[in-house]
Amino acid sequence: MVEQVEILVIGGGPGGLSAAQAAAQAGAQVTLVDAYTQLGGQYYRQPPDRLLGQSTSHQRQGQELIRKIQQAGVHILSGTTVSSLDPDRLLLCSDAHSAFLLQARAVIIASGAYESPAPFPGWTLPGVLMTGGIQTLLYQHVLPGSRVLLAGTGPLQLVVAKKLLEAGVQVAAVLEGNRLVKSAVPHALALWDQSERIIEGAQSLQALLVRGVPYRTGWGLLEAQGVDSVTGALIARLDRDWRPLKGTEQEIACDTIGISFGLTPFNSLSKLAGAQQAWRPDLGGEIPIRNEYFETSVPGIYAVGDGAGIGGFRMSLLEGQLAGLRAAAQLGYGKDAASTAIQHVHRRINRESRFRRLHSTLFTPGPGVFELAQDDTLVCRCEGVTYGRLREFIRDGSCSPQEIKNGLRTCMGECQGRMCSQMVLHTLSRLSGKTVDELGLFSARLPVFPLSIGTFASLEVEE
Amino acid sequence: MRRFGQEPAGEQEFTIHFTFDGQPLTARLGDTIASALYAAGIRSWRRSPQGDERGLLCGIGVCFDCLLSVDGIANLRACQILLTDGMRVETNLSAQVNDG
Repeated sequence: MVEQVEILVIGGGPGGLSAAQAAAQAGAQVTLVDAYTQLGGQYYRQPPDRLLGQSTSHQRQGQELIRKIQQAGVHILSGTTVSSLDPDRLLLCSDAHSAFLLQARAVIIASGAYESPAPFPGWTLPGVLMTGGIQTLLYQHVLPGSRVLLAGTGPLQLVVAKKLLEAGVQVAAVLEGNRLVKSAVPHALALWDQSERIIEGAQSLQALLVRGVPYRTGWGLLEAQGVDSVTGALIARLDRDWRPLKGTEQEIACDTIGISFGLTPFNSLSKLAGAQQAWRPDLGGEIPIRNEYFETSVPGIYAVGDGAGIGGFRMSLLEGQLAGLRAAAQLGYGKDAASTAIQHVHRRINRESRFRRLHSTLFTPGPGVFELAQDDTLVCRCEGVTYGRLREFIRDGSCSPQEIKNGLRTCMGECQGRMCSQMVLHTLSRLSGKTVDELGLFSARLPVFPLSIGTFASLEVEE
Repeated sequence: MRRFGQEPAGEQEFTIHFTFDGQPLTARLGDTIASALYAAGIRSWRRSPQGDERGLLCGIGVCFDCLLSVDGIANLRACQILLTDGMRVETNLSAQVNDG
């Protein structure tokens, strides 16, 4: 049986919550599907119930939004993954027990982003985590290790370093690959009215400095060391392109390494539905092309928030609001609300864009981050494909991304290319001398999240 | 225990029991399997097809590196499953296939 819904929102982070609220308040019947057991996404990630009393201000903001969509009558399906979306807005969903189909009149994708991986020797050792993964442990009041090195780029490193110190963990160092001050000068205007964010960053930095934690800009990680688990790291000074400067290598003792190489938009669902995509490294990689209401090239399918281009939670809230109003208006609810809101929302989005440009200038990893792998380093962790095999397969670079996928099985494992596709594309681009634009991108295939045959078989299909 | 911070009053009622490869362990209500294992000092719970130790990587359910078996069902993400009392958690063997 296929259940009919009016507006289906995918994702319970800032963009999805905001879209659901706007559409429901306009009068539409809204269903929100979220993969996690608790709403909030990554930005508003909620603590476990027993620690609710110790919520941070971010978490309380999230709780407020969640309360609003509950009051607005949004039907919430938590713990539910969307494995497929077609151009006619038919969705294949699954929860822990079964699979089911939903037919929506409009779909708003707010699938968010994930931390970009880049392979380096030792990166499969237990104890190497994405910095956001460390944060999820800290929300559970669990320590990731006893001495942590944070390497990569971006403000999250500082925030997590501060939390680690407060939890009593030693922070060996924070390595920021970019040289920030020089890059920031041309964007000084964008910092206008961003005092709240600047203060947060400065406070985290001050907490490190007070405790004598080195914050080294223009430094990066070359290698994680250890046999069965991390015992140290090899680090070096980097040039502007993040290529290590010979003779500056140092060993540093640590049992945990947090990596932050920026965020990648999760665009697989819009891509699978046939929405046109563009390659925008400044916005995190491949993203759907959208109109002024954040509708993709497939009518009735919208994409908002970081999953449609990295922009941060404020941008996500604004995009979600406008897409929610528009999707409702198209179905006859609150006819004028979307056209009234559009100018106001876009004015605020423009202001956010200035900050987004600054953030992207300051905190984008250089190309050297994709050149750390050695021949025996795994590029594809699911299928066990090494850098040596990838290099050998590419040779002169005359193959397409699709041929690599078919020939080596990269991007065909459980993670569906989320951990390796960027490395494969960058390596092919470097060895062939072509830009990623010229190479073309990988195709998206269903299911975007694995589904067991047993779950699939539970699908009730009308004869 | 690798934990920090204040636990709520009456913390006994938040204690849950589970096993990892037969070893009895305790955790807190609200833990994911991954956070419970980390709290017990266990950071590796999978062997890759090449035989290497693996554990937690992204922590948000996208990388599928933290797979393990729960109550006999293989290939589940440790970072996404909330631990419940009495769960039987086991190392995921490579090339393990669910027939259910």
